[in-house]
Order: sequence, then structure tokens, then C-alpha cells
Amino acid sequence: MELVQRYIAAVQRELPEDKRDEIGRELKANILDQLDALANYAEPSQQQISQVLQQMGRPSKVARQFVPARPLIEAEQMQTYLYTLYIVLGVLFVIQVLGSTVAWLDNDFGLLLYMKSVLSGFVGDACLAFTAITLGFAFSQQQGTSLDNNNWQPEKLPPVDAPWQYISLQDIFTNLATYAFVLVVVWYPATLSPADLAEKSVRLSEHARLALSWFTPVMLAGVAFCLWQLRERYWNRTMQWLNIGLNLLSIAMLIYLAAAGPLLEMNSGRWVEVIGWERLHRAMTYGLLITACFPAYEVLRDARRLWQARS
Amino acid sequence: MTTAQLDKMRLELRRGVLVLAVLASLKQPHYGYSLRQKLQQDGIDIDEGTLYPLVRRLAEQELLTSEWRQGEGRERRYYQLSELGAQLLDQLTAEWQQLNGALGSLLGTASQEKQ
Repeated sequence: MELVQRYIAAVQRELPEDKRDEIGRELKANILDQLDALANYAEPSQQQISQVLQQMGRPSKVARQFVPARPLIEAEQMQTYLYTLYIVLGVLFVIQVLGSTVAWLDNDFGLLLYMKSVLSGFVGDACLAFTAITLGFAFSQQQGTSLDNNNWQPEKLPPVDAPWQYISLQDIFTNLATYAFVLVVVWYPATLSPADLAEKSVRLSEHARLALSWFTPVMLAGVAFCLWQLRERYWNRTMQWLNIGLNLLSIAMLIYLAAAGPLLEMNSGRWVEVIGWERLHRAMTYGLLITACFPAYEVLRDARRLWQARS
Repeated sequence: MTTAQLDKMRLELRRGVLVLAVLASLKQPHYGYSLRQKLQQDGIDIDEGTLYPLVRRLAEQELLTSEWRQGEGRERRYYQLSELGAQLLDQLTAEWQQLNGALGSLLGTASQEKQ
């Protein structure tokens, strides 16, 4: 019988404290009944006890059968949970790009370190957000609060059109982060004193900064457009025309920057041993032209979609 | 179809029915082991790992009442259908009979078509 006691104790260890005594007591009664039946109401042998316990199953399994494990997020909550998670992670990514860009411009470190700063900062924030959101959902679930909003109307569903009509959150937040990055690069130097600015090893040339500051309303319109996409999440004709307009303006600006002379001014004394001025200028020109290909692709894509929708 | 698939579907099919069987069997008081034997005698084979936790869950939902009694030199927990459980059993029985009738006719049609 000592084996039975050990078995029950092993099951109890896997149970919540408030249920241990009750389930242990009941389990013992059931096991003894089975042993009685097997040994025909005589004293059961060690082998018979072992056989019954084997049949009952591993203690952890038996404990789970009595008190099944509850998932942190129930299946019904999963859709709301994932949506909340993606939105929060997207916002954190944009904030991280803003923060890292300011730190990059402030401390004059390299591009690789900048990317590392964005990535490591985002991963840290994302882990914290993931934990907080998961625990928040788990807690509300425990309290019996449903976060599922059942207020929806079938009439508000978008018409079935093309597979691309749903705008992914990833696209929206990537665009938002890009606008945030350029806005900080353009406007952050305006907050620095001329002496601080002169200390920088690299900065936007005067004409590039002027051109980009004239371009600011377009970028702000781009941010507003992203926020509108975040609200609507479905492409419509107005959105497509707007996207084409924004991208054409971006292409024009990138080509202008590529053609109109140096994009950057450098503190040549600090850079001359690393890379030649002419070489860097050529690299920047090609870089701008390659960057212009991305909005150009979107212009072609949206124009094609509009054309297909018309025919 | 693989044996694993068949086992999984059988399990799903039996899950709801077992509640009905347990509630119906507990019109008379039973302790765990005697309930299992009764179900076996009536043709429903259910392992201990499923039956005992199921009975506890039904008791927690107040569909069963329970009391510890002394007998044959040791204690046993006896379960019996509560008033709430009896009401639920009536409703589930009506539901089952309706489903069974519909399924019987569906399965009957299917087997006739097969022939």
C-alpha cells in the first residue's frame, strides 16, 4: 500500500493546493476499489498494485485529467489578441525608429550600429509588450471578461474584389516607420546649434535639406494616409489614386536629390581615410535612384490594379 | 482512414454522449468504481482516467450531489443526480432522442443508397 501512497502523493504534487486533499482522498478510494476487484477482496500483491497504477497512468497525466491545463489565451480570444499584438508591435517599431534615428543623429555612429539600435531596441520593447499583452489577456480571461467585440454589421464588409485589396499591417507600419525616419533626419538638425552641427562627420547638404523640408507636407500627408489605411484596411479607388500621387511625388524628389548635387556634406578630415568623396557621392546617387524604384513599383502596381478594376 | 484518425473521431463522438450516460446512471447513488462497472454492464466502456474527472466536473457544476460514506472498512464518495442535474438530464434526453431519430433516418438513407 506504500506504493499507492507514493502514487497519490505524486499526483497531488501536480495539482493546485486547494484541490490536493479532496482529489487525493477520492483517488485513493477509487484505487482501493480497483485493487479489491483485482485481488478478489484479498490483500493485493505488489505486482497487482503496480498493474493498477500503471493502468491509471502517469501521475502528471492523471492530475491533468482532474484539473486540465488552461491555455493563457482561449481560442475565442486569439483573433483579438493577435490583432492587439500586431498593432502594438507596429507602433513600437515606429517609436523605436524615431528614437534610434534621434540617437543616431546625436551621437554620430555608423549605419550598422543604427540598424543594431533599431533591432535590439525593438526586440526588447516587443518582448515586454508581448509579455504585458499576454498577461493582460490571461488576467481578463480569468476574470471572465470577454474582449471580443460582437458589434459588427455584415453590410460593412468590403465587396469581394481582388486578393490584394486587404492592406497588411506590416505594409502600413513599414511606411509609417519610413516617413518617421525621413522626417527626423530632415528636421532634427534644425534643433542643433551651428557649432554642434559642424561637429558632425556627415550631415545633409543645405540644398538637400531645403528640398526635403519643402517635401515635408507630402510626408505628413503620407503619415495621415497610413493612419487612414490603419482605420480602413481595404484598398479603394481613392486610396489607390492617393498612393499613386504620393509615390510619384516621392520618385520626383528622389530623382531631384540624385541629380541636383551632393546629398551630404561631410567633415572630410574625419572620413578621408575611410572612403573618397567622389566615390561616396556616386554611391549616394545610385542609392537614391535604386530607392526611387520602390515607389515606382507601387505606382505601376496601383495603376495596373485601377486599370484592371475598370475593365 | 488511419487508426489514429478513427480513434480521435470516436473520442469526439463519445465525449458528449458520456455526460448523458453518466447523468442517467446516477439516478441511483454510485461511487466511482461502482459507476464504472454499471456503465460497463450497460455496454459503455470508459476508462478511469476519463470517468473520475468527468464525475468531479459534473459535481462542481452542481449537476451531482456527493457525500462520503463508510462501507466495507473504508470511505467512498457517493455521487447522485441533483435536482439541477435531473432537469438537465430531461432536456439532454429530449435533445438526444431528436438527434438520434434524425441521425437514424440519415444513416438509414445512406446505407440504402450504398446498397
